[in-house]
Amino acid sequence: MMAIIDGMRSMLTGHWFWGAVTLVCLTWYSTVTVYVAIKGAGDIRRMLRRLSEANEEGR
Amino acid sequence: MNGFTFLDGGIVGIYLLVTMVVGIAIRRYVGRVEDFLVARREMDVYLGIASLAATEFGIVTCMYAAQNGFEKGFAGAVPGLLTFAAMFLVGWTGFCIKPLRDSGVMTIPELFEKKYGSRVRWAAGVVIVLGGLLNMGVFLRTGGDFLVSVAGLNPNYLEYMMTGLLVGVAVYTILGGMLSVLVTDYLQFIVMSAGLIVTTFLILSKVGWGTLVETVETNYGAGGFNPFRNDTMGWSYVVFNILLNTAAVLTWQTQIARVLSAKDSRIGRMVYTRTSFFFVARWLIPGIWGIAALALLTPEQIGGSSLLAMPRLLGMIVPAGLMGLLIAAMLAADMSTDSSYMLTWGGVIYNDILAPFRKTKWSEKRGLVWNRSIVALIGVFLLIYGLWYEIEGDLWTYLGITGTIYLSSMSVLLIACCYWPRANNWGATAAIVCGAAVPVTTLVLQKVGPWTEWIKGNGALCGIAAYVIVALSMVVGSLLKPQPQVVAEGVPA
Repeated sequence: MMAIIDGMRSMLTGHWFWGAVTLVCLTWYSTVTVYVAIKGAGDIRRMLRRLSEANEEGR
Repeated sequence: MNGFTFLDGGIVGIYLLVTMVVGIAIRRYVGRVEDFLVARREMDVYLGIASLAATEFGIVTCMYAAQNGFEKGFAGAVPGLLTFAAMFLVGWTGFCIKPLRDSGVMTIPELFEKKYGSRVRWAAGVVIVLGGLLNMGVFLRTGGDFLVSVAGLNPNYLEYMMTGLLVGVAVYTILGGMLSVLVTDYLQFIVMSAGLIVTTFLILSKVGWGTLVETVETNYGAGGFNPFRNDTMGWSYVVFNILLNTAAVLTWQTQIARVLSAKDSRIGRMVYTRTSFFFVARWLIPGIWGIAALALLTPEQIGGSSLLAMPRLLGMIVPAGLMGLLIAAMLAADMSTDSSYMLTWGGVIYNDILAPFRKTKWSEKRGLVWNRSIVALIGVFLLIYGLWYEIEGDLWTYLGITGTIYLSSMSVLLIACCYWPRANNWGATAAIVCGAAVPVTTLVLQKVGPWTEWIKGNGALCGIAAYVIVALSMVVGSLLKPQPQVVAEGVPA
């Protein structure tokens, strides 16, 4: 844990801008991947259900 | 070189099998051309985010972003920051994309017909396809180079491997159209993101942030962190990338297809704002991989190719098991990009270039057959062009110049179409001709003539010139066309 905190601290010293952007980027991307994976599955289910219903009505 | 083990092969095999089965299974939902091209406009926010992110990150993206990191340091990720800003602002304000989606069209040229007439629609379709096909033509070989370098495969198998991959992608794209593309993009987004994140943490733990910063400082000094102080970038590079990325956000076929497939303009705008930060990751993550290659590899290991430095590094440091995930991630990235490119450019060929040949309304069945045939033909083109064209200069500049063939004119046409009442077909025609002429001339002059070296070193200036000339052409052309005489208020003579 301390190693991780030390690593993050080193990223924010010196050329702090790119260190901060990298930290935000990795945190954001890891979180969004999980969130989109969960919510996207719901989107697909609903989209395919609506398409099935529309196809049924069209017949 | 760690090589590619049976465990890695198993991971890749399972990924490919699941993708193909899902992609092909979706075909049963496709009954109309609208299903095939824009998923019957049923795409919601999170599926849109996954699809847009997966499409916009291919192996070719990873390669040119890593090459930028290798050659320019952290400053090489600046195009990602600029794309983020452009996409966020466009999504937040709805600039152009709101009127575009609200119009109910399936492609941008279809909107142009309402303002500029059918000839401009056709010409716009031709320019979009020309620029898009030249752009995507390099995807296959670049992707193959990556896979061969990372996995330590025999280069003689590159063509066969990429042909097999393209055939697989073409099969589910031809059968399921945008619906298959969206669903497979979702799977590919998850696999791709997992691979990218895990590999980045591996590299950071093995190389260390301090080493990365020190490497950039040693090799590029302040220019490795600040684009304005970098000899190979400077203001022209930044300005060109602002223009290029804004134009791409507004008109790049694969991006705008997500807006047009969205349920409404509100969803389309949300997809843009919420995906925008992904473009920072899209440039920074491979950029860090490229810097790590610069830090760890010797000149002999790099072998004179900055493009292949990053895959060679990955081949050396990624362990078995994780190698399978990485290859699956990169295949996912490439497949989602290829499928979407084939489909969305095929859509323009069908919807706009073939429009004059559809004097009477075609049946849905006939329309689907044509769309599927066009996607198959684009696949054949990709195979042929991708195997013989050799790029001059760096990959990102090549993609920028070929993309500018249509990005410059289409973005100007779209902005004028939405917000300048005086814009007309004279201006639009002039903009299209100039927008194609400048980048094509640049591509030719890169190969022949006395200015090849200057052109190769000043690609960004040529790109800026294209946008300025196109905007002026639109304004001058539109103002030159005589206005209809008005004899009474609102009634043309």
